[in-house]
Amino acid sequence: MTLSRGARALLTACVGLGLAFLYVPLVVVVVNSFNVERTFGWPPKGLTLEWWGKAIDNEGARTALLTSLKAGAGATVIALVLGTLLAFAVQRYQWFGRETVSLLVVLPIALPGIVTGVALKGTVLDVLDPVFGISFGLFTIIAGHATFCLVVVFNNVVARLRRTGGSLEEASMDLGANGVQTFRHVTLPAIRSAVLAGGLLAFGLSFDEIVVTTFTAGPGTQTLPIWIFNNLARPNQAPVVNVVAAVVIVLAVLPVYLSQRLSGGDAAGGGRL
Amino acid sequence: MSVSGPAAESAPSALSAAGRSGRRVRLAGLLAAPLTWLVVVYLGSLALLLVQAFWSVDTFTGKVRHEITTANFEQVLRESVYRTITVRTLGIAVAVTVLCVLIALPMALYMAKVASPRAQRWLVIAVLAPLWASYLVKAYAWRGMLANGGVLEWLRLPTPGFGVAATIIVLTYLWLPYMVLPIYAGLERLPNSLLDASGDLGAPAGRTLRSVVLPMIMPSVIAGTVFTFSLSLGDYIAVNLVGGTTQMLGNAIFVNVGAANNLPFAAALAFVSVGIIVVYLLLVRRSGALREL
Repeated sequence: MTLSRGARALLTACVGLGLAFLYVPLVVVVVNSFNVERTFGWPPKGLTLEWWGKAIDNEGARTALLTSLKAGAGATVIALVLGTLLAFAVQRYQWFGRETVSLLVVLPIALPGIVTGVALKGTVLDVLDPVFGISFGLFTIIAGHATFCLVVVFNNVVARLRRTGGSLEEASMDLGANGVQTFRHVTLPAIRSAVLAGGLLAFGLSFDEIVVTTFTAGPGTQTLPIWIFNNLARPNQAPVVNVVAAVVIVLAVLPVYLSQRLSGGDAAGGGRL
Repeated sequence: MSVSGPAAESAPSALSAAGRSGRRVRLAGLLAAPLTWLVVVYLGSLALLLVQAFWSVDTFTGKVRHEITTANFEQVLRESVYRTITVRTLGIAVAVTVLCVLIALPMALYMAKVASPRAQRWLVIAVLAPLWASYLVKAYAWRGMLANGGVLEWLRLPTPGFGVAATIIVLTYLWLPYMVLPIYAGLERLPNSLLDASGDLGAPAGRTLRSVVLPMIMPSVIAGTVFTFSLSLGDYIAVNLVGGTTQMLGNAIFVNVGAANNLPFAAALAFVSVGIIVVYLLLVRRSGALREL
């Protein structure tokens, strides 16, 4: 678009301000985790590694981290399987209700998390616990996370399938390969990186989730975000909470970076929600 | 985020009957597990939530009474507290949505139509990355920004302190990427030739923006508003952290699930926000925005 120099400068300024708006608070959290003082004050009077040491030794935070990793792994596996299957069904087949299902998949992230959370809590209380004897814990956390993690895997794989089309598979079949061979040598290499990217993002989503988790965790189990939330109210825990918060931010960059690498320049296909 | 309508893939036309039924079996195999999960676990839970909204809690024993009553919905409509909370929540959601559109439009415009392809790729990553940083930590970060002696004060910027204004700022911050990305995707699809044609016909940039760009990316903008609006309606954690004593629908739901131990009433409140979102989705459906989600 032909823009005057003034308009161009204005747009550039908007982007700069927008990015500053997005990033300054995150930088503040990371810097603040090194703050020597126990109470928040800006700018920090000095920097120290003391709280990082304390955080590493913190039993509660370590247990919560382990729970988060387990929950993320479980939810990611379920999401990978279900999301990939569904992506194939939606993208490679014509069937009645296809449009409805593509809308149904995004519902868990389009509806507020609290609605999903309360709904799942009710299901555990009224169905899972009395009928199947499954009460709140790691399993219910995983089930809750899988519901919305499915969306990211589905979206990544669908985008890849749409881009590659079905002609390569047809060519493979025409050349005499059977279904299994075609899947192994043609389909799988084409979608592998998209599946991986979706899985990484699903893990990232699960690792950070708090709203649904609040309702599906029950009193005995804490994920890292829940641990942070419970400890926000304790002023003497503040320095350790700051460190854990910084860790969570830095760790969140990893899946985004890796999924971008995996999707190799396909900016729209990699790391989509 | 953007599952634009499934591409129409024409199935090979000359399929034998056996091939067709084989196809049907494979499709059933693909769909069985994910649909069971989505329909049973997710839709089943939502349906149960709706049923629960018509149950009640025995005030004496604290146990749920499984009899159908509309008492919860009557209470939501009758008590002015809940009307106030609903109106406040709606107001905050609208304000957040408007702010997000205003900030996201120029950002997306620069990303899609001004930046070089290389810069474009980095900008997409830069906007996307904060989405994956913990929602809780991002909201928590703003306590340090807004507090007395916080970062905003240090930058000589006015700070609103904790309250409704702070809630609006933080929610705008949290959901901004959800608005930038669909608008950016919409602008990406807009052919440059249209902009050039408008320029060649003598329209200045502002006119092109108003008469060509905006009408064409409206569905994308609306898709973004679905996210910002819906996410704001359900929030309770950000409000909790920076809202001072401000209560939103999410807080009321949370309190009734937890401390007040009244899941049926929480379910009724949850359906107030679901109802608002459904009305909004129906309103915007005709714009074609839902295909942009």
